[in-house]
Amino acid sequence: MHALVLMLLAADPTVAELLAKYDSIMGPAQFEAEATMTATREDGTARTYGMKFLKKDQDKFRLWFSEPAAVKGQEMLRNGDNLWIYIPNLKRATRVANRDNFQGGDFNNADVLRVNYQADYDGKLIDSDAPDAWCIELKAKSKETSYDSIKLWMRKSDFQPLKGQYFGTSGQMIRSATFTDHKEFEKGFTRPGRIVMQNELVKTRKSEMRTSRMTLKVDVPAQRFTQADLGK
Amino acid sequence: MALFKLAVRNLRRNQRRTAITLVAMVVGVTGMVGLRGFINGQQDVLLENIIKGRLGAVQVHRTGYVKNVLTSPLQLDMADTPELRGRLSAAPHVIGVSPRIEFGAMVSTPDKRPQPEDGSDLPEADQGKTSFFLATAIEPESESKVTPRRHGLINKGGRMLPSADAPELVLNDEFARGLEAPVHPAGAPMPPIEQQLALLAGDRDGALNGENMVLGGTLPSFSAGDKRIGVVPLAVAQRVLRMEGHVTEYALALDDYTQADAVRDGLKAKLGPDYEVHTWAELFPFIKSLTGTQDFIFSIITGVFFTVVLLGIVNAMLMTVLERTREIGTMLAVGMRRRQIIRLFLFEGVVIGTVGALLGLSVGLLLIAFTHSRGIPLPAPGANVESIVRPWVSGRFVVGVLLGTPLGAALATLWPAWRASRLRPVEALASA
Repeated sequence: MHALVLMLLAADPTVAELLAKYDSIMGPAQFEAEATMTATREDGTARTYGMKFLKKDQDKFRLWFSEPAAVKGQEMLRNGDNLWIYIPNLKRATRVANRDNFQGGDFNNADVLRVNYQADYDGKLIDSDAPDAWCIELKAKSKETSYDSIKLWMRKSDFQPLKGQYFGTSGQMIRSATFTDHKEFEKGFTRPGRIVMQNELVKTRKSEMRTSRMTLKVDVPAQRFTQADLGK
Repeated sequence: MALFKLAVRNLRRNQRRTAITLVAMVVGVTGMVGLRGFINGQQDVLLENIIKGRLGAVQVHRTGYVKNVLTSPLQLDMADTPELRGRLSAAPHVIGVSPRIEFGAMVSTPDKRPQPEDGSDLPEADQGKTSFFLATAIEPESESKVTPRRHGLINKGGRMLPSADAPELVLNDEFARGLEAPVHPAGAPMPPIEQQLALLAGDRDGALNGENMVLGGTLPSFSAGDKRIGVVPLAVAQRVLRMEGHVTEYALALDDYTQADAVRDGLKAKLGPDYEVHTWAELFPFIKSLTGTQDFIFSIITGVFFTVVLLGIVNAMLMTVLERTREIGTMLAVGMRRRQIIRLFLFEGVVIGTVGALLGLSVGLLLIAFTHSRGIPLPAPGANVESIVRPWVSGRFVVGVLLGTPLGAALATLWPAWRASRLRPVEALASA
């Protein structure tokens, strides 16, 4: 009997393993991707933003907006804990915060431009209400993270994220996400192709991120992740 | 009438007691009048700060704006036409019309020094900050008529926006201090763009946009809790929000803010169902409940005041009855009716009450006139604007005191009067 329990326990992945899996699926060490975000607002109108991503190393991101015309030419850059937005009007980059929302949608900047749950959160496995999924509870390590706590559901069979709930300082759920359309973007690399972020404070608001292309085999020049390269 | 004369004579007979009772009444009435006057003045300051410092007396929006879940929905905008402005300013009592846009914005401060050459991170203390605030976009010219108080309060060294298209903004002083943003001296050349502030905001469709700016001035807080606010030029805001020629709000100044309800009703009828009109009291219900609470507390305090004064009268009258037992006995013996005895004492109460009210009112009104012309400087809680309180009382209140005090005094005399009327003539005459 004891042996059986031990075996079952041994079969469970540790939280560290799960978080490492999540980070490697949602933010592989290096990639290039194209995506669109459709933000639906409380009055029912929606706007779609087109963008291109580039990522290198642990925490270097670059993002170019291609549409609509209002944001064309805007760029974002993350380097470590620094996050900048370049607005053509300003002719320079200004700093923005992790928790600020991403183009007026329901994702925040860190949701899109920082995937490093291993570094940002302490996790613990909790009882899952879905038999086929692991459920982890994450607590923020610092005040700089985008949420104070997160509940995350990951599929047992392949560790793909399925669902997330995101909580603010008061313990109130502020966002919830569903991860669907899991797709093998490249041989051996599968990730959700569609994430719907539901605003739990204003229920009529939600944003949908669709990844159309993603490749891990890219040659990324380091210079792309410097402030000087913004707007070029 | 004879009884009344008798009552006056009785009061004048024992001058010391009458004087003591009067002093108590005068102090009580003066205190009441003074307190009411002060509360009135203080409520005025509160209202002025809100109306002439922030809201305007009446506001016009697109229908649904005020009730919207978000505090400032940009979709509910209106074309800012001379025709619409004309219709608003043509309404009776309206002396100023100010177009505005309220929106959630961010202000981003520059890094204090350039990024280190070696690629290492700038220390956090030297990094620029981005903070949210509630921005009100205004045309300084029109706005100065609607919120002159805000215009007059710019801290030293700064200035209100010079024009509706100046690359300048005005922030709450504590907020600006938190951002470590210095005021840009008037007339000095603009700093290089990488050292300017950035005003960032999602445009009408939600896409982020921004403009470079400098801090033109800072404003003190009017009340607690309004730290993260700022004022920006309307034309600049319209560019950032991509809403050229559109506004979300008109704030109106009235020659008399107590006419706000009438102006609202008139405008509602004139503008039709596409627009909604609100008075300051509807936009800021907090102030109504605050003044309501104050009035309630005032009535409790005056109640206590009044009771103490009246108890003094009861006491003095009881003493009188005791002292004048033989006299009352005599009056009863010569055929005065018990009812008349009661009336006699009631008259004494009314006379002393009237004289007390008159004297107390005179002293109280003098005090109010004096403090009104001098003004009482008073720091409002949570705000760093010193407010000058100018006490006043309404005619209704004066009449109320004038009628209420003698009435109260008469009521207070009832019991002693009844006791006097119950005396038995024989026993009363025999008492020492």
